[in-house]
Amino acid sequence: MTTTLIDTASHQAGFENKLLMPAWAEVVKITPEAEGVTTFALRFTDPEVQKRYRWEPGQFNMLYVPGYGEAAISMSSDVSSSNGLVIHTIRQAASVTKATNRLRPGDVVGLRGPFGSSWPLEAIRGMDVVIACGGIGLPPLRGALYAIMREREKYGKVTLLYGARTPKDLMYPDEYETWNKAGIEVQATVDRGDETWTGRVGVVPMLFYHFRVDPHKTAVLTCGPEIMMRFVIYEALARRIPASQIYVSLERNMRCGQGFCGHCQMGPYFICKDGPVFPFNRLGPFFNVEEY
Amino acid sequence: MMNEKNLTIGSTVALPKAELDHLLADLRSNGYQTVGPRLQDECIVYKEIESLQDLPRGLLSEQKPASYRLIQTGQDRYFDFIPAGQSWKQFLFPPRQHLFSAQKNSSEVHAEGHTAGRNTKWQIKADDAPTPRYALVGVRACELAAIAVQDRVFMRSDFTDPIYRARREGLFILAVNCLHPNATCFCVSMGTGPRHKAGFDLCLTEMDDLFLVEAGSELGLSLLARRTYELPSAFVQTAANRATELAAGKMGRSLDTSDLPGVLTGHLDAERWNQVAKRCLSCANCTQVCPTCFCWEAFDKTDVLGNKTSRERVWDSCFNPNFSYVFGGNTRPNIRSRYRQWLTHKLGAWKGQFDVLGCVGCGRCITWCPVGIDLTEEVAAIRQEVKA
Amino acid sequence: MNPIDEVTQELQKIPWFQELKPEHLRQFAEISFLRHYKAGEVFFHEGDKQDYFYIVLSGRVALDLFIPHRGKIRFYTCEQWDNFGWSSVTPVVRTRTAGAVGVVDGIVIATDTDKLQALCDRDHDIGYLFMRRMVNVIASRLLVTRLQLLDMFAEPTETKTDE
Repeated sequence: MTTTLIDTASHQAGFENKLLMPAWAEVVKITPEAEGVTTFALRFTDPEVQKRYRWEPGQFNMLYVPGYGEAAISMSSDVSSSNGLVIHTIRQAASVTKATNRLRPGDVVGLRGPFGSSWPLEAIRGMDVVIACGGIGLPPLRGALYAIMREREKYGKVTLLYGARTPKDLMYPDEYETWNKAGIEVQATVDRGDETWTGRVGVVPMLFYHFRVDPHKTAVLTCGPEIMMRFVIYEALARRIPASQIYVSLERNMRCGQGFCGHCQMGPYFICKDGPVFPFNRLGPFFNVEEY
Repeated sequence: MMNEKNLTIGSTVALPKAELDHLLADLRSNGYQTVGPRLQDECIVYKEIESLQDLPRGLLSEQKPASYRLIQTGQDRYFDFIPAGQSWKQFLFPPRQHLFSAQKNSSEVHAEGHTAGRNTKWQIKADDAPTPRYALVGVRACELAAIAVQDRVFMRSDFTDPIYRARREGLFILAVNCLHPNATCFCVSMGTGPRHKAGFDLCLTEMDDLFLVEAGSELGLSLLARRTYELPSAFVQTAANRATELAAGKMGRSLDTSDLPGVLTGHLDAERWNQVAKRCLSCANCTQVCPTCFCWEAFDKTDVLGNKTSRERVWDSCFNPNFSYVFGGNTRPNIRSRYRQWLTHKLGAWKGQFDVLGCVGCGRCITWCPVGIDLTEEVAAIRQEVKA
Repeated sequence: MNPIDEVTQELQKIPWFQELKPEHLRQFAEISFLRHYKAGEVFFHEGDKQDYFYIVLSGRVALDLFIPHRGKIRFYTCEQWDNFGWSSVTPVVRTRTAGAVGVVDGIVIATDTDKLQALCDRDHDIGYLFMRRMVNVIASRLLVTRLQLLDMFAEPTETKTDE
């Protein structure tokens, strides 16, 4: 099980001994990322909460839009930059996330969090790192990317494998050069390209074909559609990377974030508190069981 | 008369039945809402009771898969029925609970750099209804075990449900030893009953003309001390012991719990899941009557203009089609996977989560299943299939 | 260096050619040549007659299809040691089923497919090794196609639910 290093309980926003009680946060900035995907920068309206709030890459908040309800959204920024703002990159898909379409700077939303486990940035020190993600799976890993960049010398070769549907669906494209310069090899691929796209066309798991891994000192962090993660796992296992070094971020119906409401269960796990990040050896028997 | 100073936790006294009335009154005057069994719609349910008069008298409940009948015995006894239609969880984990309300408070935007127009701010108001203090009257051993299971779910070291905790901490438990287990009972298999061991304030064993009452806590002791009671005769005590021993032999069902998590979670592809899926209506009755099922959903109730919203928590069920919804669809779109989730959780994964099984053997899910699906039968069938 | 030696040297670097005996490598090299290409350079169009089988040594080559109202859609790119034009070594397909265009400057090994087929027919040892390798290439191409067909990143449609 991956656990957080900070005692998140003492850095949490919201609830104040009341069930599902959010802390208000003001929308500071709204940035469109791609078709149907928007980044919101938020600041807690209560300075005490703002001061206390801390999180680790891979964790998530429950974002509350009054009148609509809550949705689980990962933090997508660097932990130690963005002036303490909470950055959420949201795919505006279901009712709550669609409601964020109407937000304007100055509006407030509710936040509770952070919840869940984080990427094992300590445990994978000294290893080569393959970050394999697709679509809206990149935002939850962006904080991990920046954390690695900040202490770049503590990791071996770092490769980002990123896939999206089309070139215009690739998120944070302006940052790839910075990442490359900081020593992260960015390999992007799309399912289909037009005539102007000179990058790769293909799928994320097959990006493994383009480099060699040293299985014992390689860790894989993956987040994206479950079908994509499955094939990433197959490719990693085929290269003899131990299951304990493959970290998977799962998505289930997270409603409370505290392991109470029952919706996000998979086998013995509450994905919201035991996950969302799991080493694959812990998931083995339950992952990819039809409808489990 | 016994001297009150001689009473200690663990002491048993003989209490005249009428004295229970005074005990209830005493609880009420001390700020407790007394809730207990009442007859309603030809079923015994747990509701507020004021006195012994409100209790059902001379009734046995005959329960079978998909069947519940009350039988008149004509005896002057109050607790011969077996677990009621509902469980006690409604008092600690209310089926519908208001959490907070929020009121829109729009203001003109003057700050520079903002889009002109109005900004949406909200004023939040937490639910401030006082926490009720309940005295539960007539809690069976399986039901007390179920409360202990939910304690582990809702009062953990990492997170605690404040609503549950507040109600749980103020709880008074007047337990009763079950003397007439029925066809759907299997508390012996689950190691939870029928006789109480601990965890109550007071525990009754009902005899024809009196209650044997054991004190289980300081609070129980002090309430008991104010009543008129006698030392129980050896004869009565022997009779009571005999009755509870006999009760243990009256289990209508049994469940082999050996390696239960392994048997179920290790056979997620068993053919039996297909069979039970053909019968199961996915009606969620089993999860609503189950004393340990804890799933819930929260939603906003909004006024027409969207200016006011009230956030509520309600019971949910893993049998509801949208329970496992994630963007793109349901993780468990079919009844087969939902029934499998329920059973493998309750009798399997639960152990890993809370170090206890999620079933106490009360049999409610068998009685209240409209098609009479019996989990003990399902487990036996899966064992059989696995062995073959 | 003579051109055949040059091709042989490049072939030897490719993992899946390392199973070939020296004389087989030589025979393969004799019917192949190195081709330098630029971004934008077209190798073939959909519908062209078959001529060469290509192994990419460097750069990037895209496979595309023209779809009315949508233009040319690139559905696969090949890089180092990947290959394209493989349908030309199957016995039935006679015309190109997609176009191929360079998108990043590089080098390919081009192999005359008539001669390659004849070589494989004549010497089943090399034919077996080559075809066995081709099956692997086709299997991975099929997997990519399957995952693309699933349209993993699309707005999902509702799955059917028992009520």
